[in-house]
Amino acid sequence: MNEVLVADDLRKSYGDVEALSGVSLSVAEGEVFGLIGPNGAGKTTLVRALTGTTTPDSGSASVLGSDPTSVDRQRLGLLPQDFTPAGRLTARELVAYYAGLYDDARDPDELLSDVGLADAADTWYENLSGGQQRRACIALTLANDPDVLFLDEPTTGIDPAGRRSLWSLIDDLAARGTTVFLTSHSMAEIERLADRVGLLNEGQLVTVGRPDDLVAEHGGENRLVVRTADSISLDDISLPPSLAAEVTAEGVTVYGVGPREIGTTVTALDDAGIVYESLVWKQPGLEEVYLSLTGEQFEGARPTAAAVAGGSQ
Amino acid sequence: MSALARVASEFVASWHSFLRRRTAVFFTFFFPAIIVVIFGALVQTQPTGGGLFAEPKEYYIAGYLAVVVLFTPLSRVGSTIARHRDGNRFEKLATTPLTRAEWLLAHSLVNVVVIGLAALLLLGLSVLVTGASIPVSAATLAVIPFVALGVTLFCGLGAIIGSLADSQDGVIAASNAIALPLLFLSETFVTPDLLPAWFVPALNLSPLTFFARGVRALTYTGGEWATNLGILAALSVAFFVAGTLAIPQTD
Repeated sequence: MNEVLVADDLRKSYGDVEALSGVSLSVAEGEVFGLIGPNGAGKTTLVRALTGTTTPDSGSASVLGSDPTSVDRQRLGLLPQDFTPAGRLTARELVAYYAGLYDDARDPDELLSDVGLADAADTWYENLSGGQQRRACIALTLANDPDVLFLDEPTTGIDPAGRRSLWSLIDDLAARGTTVFLTSHSMAEIERLADRVGLLNEGQLVTVGRPDDLVAEHGGENRLVVRTADSISLDDISLPPSLAAEVTAEGVTVYGVGPREIGTTVTALDDAGIVYESLVWKQPGLEEVYLSLTGEQFEGARPTAAAVAGGSQ
Repeated sequence: MSALARVASEFVASWHSFLRRRTAVFFTFFFPAIIVVIFGALVQTQPTGGGLFAEPKEYYIAGYLAVVVLFTPLSRVGSTIARHRDGNRFEKLATTPLTRAEWLLAHSLVNVVVIGLAALLLLGLSVLVTGASIPVSAATLAVIPFVALGVTLFCGLGAIIGSLADSQDGVIAASNAIALPLLFLSETFVTPDLLPAWFVPALNLSPLTFFARGVRALTYTGGEWATNLGILAALSVAFFVAGTLAIPQTD
């Protein structure tokens, strides 16, 4: 496996705040690596360390086998977070401007067409909608057809349709062998695009793995969230041994419910005479992994024995 | 060749951005016009009296030119850097082949063109409004490199201010605070004999002094100007290099 991006024990502090606390990772050629984490976790600092736009206090990074500050910039693409280009250039002029900075660049009109902005090519950037602006930014980031692409929260402010067209674009880039390093707060986006995911929290890389593996390891169980009209007691419910339940403010949550156990659970609720207003079956995803590993409110884990009914009941 | 293409790309983008900010364009050219109208037509010069504006009207042409050569690049480049920093544009540019020197060169060239046009307007108005007579000879063309080097110098200083100031407001405040004393203490409008004797040597600390002396030699007094051009060129290179190094590349 050819490693294109390598971070080795990267550390970076801003005053008393430690943005990166010894981050090590590697990304293979053609891989889409998704980086998730809370605000202030250090995601942007890690992107900057890997692109050479910040100098780490210690540790090292390499891109395409070179130090990030000396890597061949013809092969690099970056869309920084909160990037705002010149407002009074048209979308076409903006892409042409960035294309003009490279020896070998793609045709601006072709790029605008790829991101669905062909019809707005002659509109000033400041007059584009928020989603169109972000798409123009992605088009100019692709001006040099980079081998390694860094996208720092690329779909912020884009509507669902625009987001999906960009996902498709990133899919195409990955299929052509572009290595993509992507940060996002959208778990759906990361689950959809990333081959591997890293979770950064308080400057530390808490976990790295394939999305499915992370969900299986940290995502908790399937659960049935039952909203009831009245408060209930777990003593009234007789569940199969493999399931557990917990009373919540809205009703009851039953853990370990696979597709085959939904009917059994509903029958148990009916038998207990519980009147329910809604039933929602939830499968764990990256969001549960994120909440579990960042210590934020996490509803996917089976509660402690003291709060549980089921199994032996 | 590719460096030239990068500078050209940056120049074109910056030029279009400037032309489309109509307020900026208007006041860039209104500024020299109002200077000539105020000082040349309203205040007027009083060659027989003492104090300010006691020299012949041709004496002040160098000062009028100094106004645009000093103020416009300082505020324009400083504000541009603040805008670029706010929009994370330098972070993006740091990952492209464009170097900081190429960036500053492109923006200096835009300013040379803009201020060159403003200077032409100013010279024309000086002749029309004040009746000043400017000697026309091959040597007069040396005003062009004086303007180009002066603009480049203050683009470098503007880059330093823009990099040190933490906001566009800060850039404007710092530019004014630096430019105003420079303007009046550089043999532009205030003659050295109006200043205390102990202060006169300090005039040589202002780069604008060499611009004013050289341009005045070309447009009024005649005489040696090449030394001032040489000093201005050396200072321009120094400020350009300092400005290049000051431009943010990392956070």
